[in-house]
Amino acid sequence: MSVVRVENLTRDYGSGRGIFGLSFEVSKGEVFGFLGPNGAGKTTTIRHLMGFIRSLSGSCSVGGLDCWKGRAQIQKRLGYIPGEISFFDDMTGAEYLRFVADYRGLKNGSRQRELLDLLELDPRSKIKKMSKGTRQKIGIVAALMHDPDILVLDEPTSGLDPLMQNRFIDLIREEKKRGKTILLSSHMFEEVERTCDRIGIIREGRLVTVDAVETLRDRHLRRHTVQLSSEEEAASFAEDFGGVRNGTTVTVSSRQSLETIFLHYYGGNSHAE
Amino acid sequence: MLNKTLYLREMKRSLRLLVIFAAIMTMYVTIIIGMYDPAMMAMLDGFVKMIPQMMAAVGMKAGTTNLLGFMISYLYGFILLIFPMVYSILRANGLIAKYVDSGAMVTLVAAPVKRRSIALTQLSVLLSGTMLLLAYVTGIEIATASLGFPGSISPVQLLRVNAGLACLHLFIAGVCFFFSCLCSDTKYSLAFGAGIPVMMYILQMLSNMQNESSVFEKMTFFTLFNAGGLAAGESGALLGAGLLLISAIALQAGAVFVFCRKDLHI
Repeated sequence: MSVVRVENLTRDYGSGRGIFGLSFEVSKGEVFGFLGPNGAGKTTTIRHLMGFIRSLSGSCSVGGLDCWKGRAQIQKRLGYIPGEISFFDDMTGAEYLRFVADYRGLKNGSRQRELLDLLELDPRSKIKKMSKGTRQKIGIVAALMHDPDILVLDEPTSGLDPLMQNRFIDLIREEKKRGKTILLSSHMFEEVERTCDRIGIIREGRLVTVDAVETLRDRHLRRHTVQLSSEEEAASFAEDFGGVRNGTTVTVSSRQSLETIFLHYYGGNSHAE
Repeated sequence: MLNKTLYLREMKRSLRLLVIFAAIMTMYVTIIIGMYDPAMMAMLDGFVKMIPQMMAAVGMKAGTTNLLGFMISYLYGFILLIFPMVYSILRANGLIAKYVDSGAMVTLVAAPVKRRSIALTQLSVLLSGTMLLLAYVTGIEIATASLGFPGSISPVQLLRVNAGLACLHLFIAGVCFFFSCLCSDTKYSLAFGAGIPVMMYILQMLSNMQNESSVFEKMTFFTLFNAGGLAAGESGALLGAGLLLISAIALQAGAVFVFCRKDLHI
């Protein structure tokens, strides 16, 4: 059963910007990676899903409800992390979280405390004075504290340090285990590769490919297995290069950048611009 | 229908502005009513004779006989028009357009709260402030007048004038709120939401400076608020106030409608 359904969605902003004939589905309990460079149309698609903008051509629905007409209904079970987080700057983080909870009519604050602990976030300072990463954490807590079934995450790890990125990825995996349907947009292949079941690649407003993550990984991760002379050498090699050791053999994989992946699909077009 | 959490937050944000404006208006109202004194009247009338155009520009005309007439001349042409208007301009912009511009509107729309509720809540905040200011001013006027000059003012007449003033300010709030909902850019929200009322006020000043009725007079909605006529209970003045009220409701309904229908690129 598909929870998120986008059908032939088109929004032309002129001069090649916008999204064109976009179609994809996200099934219940699935993590769908929405991968594309900046300005590819990820956020425009998400704005449609959130009911911020109306679909002029094509349609999109969440949980069987039209994203524009049913937007207030949809929001009951949806959590959203915006790509560019902007809060009420006059508030402290704690005030903001309390406001959002009250505004949503949320009674139970236990999930909020769990999330604050998990992200090691002290929300007591003024949002205006917070670093980008801390603001991002506030956004994550605000989006997840009502324990929604559907998560729409627009580049959710931007601004987080690598440690926190890992912790966030664990959080996503945990949410997936709990049966959440997740749409995760990103411009980093690594991030979606580590969390998603399927990945849709979008470029210049068009969906280039939708594939299971294994398929893409096989296509875009090159693995090399190296034989070393001793187990000690193998162990230190594995440590230094992030490989997987098996006896005296170590398998290392090279990660390709998004650009390289696009090169694969466009045969060099992405460099021509 | 309304969101209580949002209403309380925004009222808290209105509070400082309201207190400041209430304080300024208290000062003016008490001083002006305190100046109601034959000797002072003679002096002001002297000013009106010397520089009639300057005085008329700020709504002060000669020939004010009773206390209410005196108040209409010296309070209802400037102080009681400008301060609630500035409140509406600042708050209307801050309640919708500023949040859309900064992206903070995401918090409000990415929640199970209908856009209509959001717009109506913000509108209620705006109108609550206007009404509080005007109710407060009415209280101060009655208190000052009955302390200083007992029995010299008819509460019914004063209330009629202030009800008309409320219609005018509901209309101005409607203009400001409409453009706040229409424009996703603070720049444009302010250009129209502040520009139109201020332009109209300037036209009103120009038309006041001319003795005979001018083209300017016909071009501004301030003409529809005729304080003297309302005090006297003239049907034309009542009609004008009614027209302002109807237009105010239309503008506010239009603003909510526009906000519900618009694309939010946030």
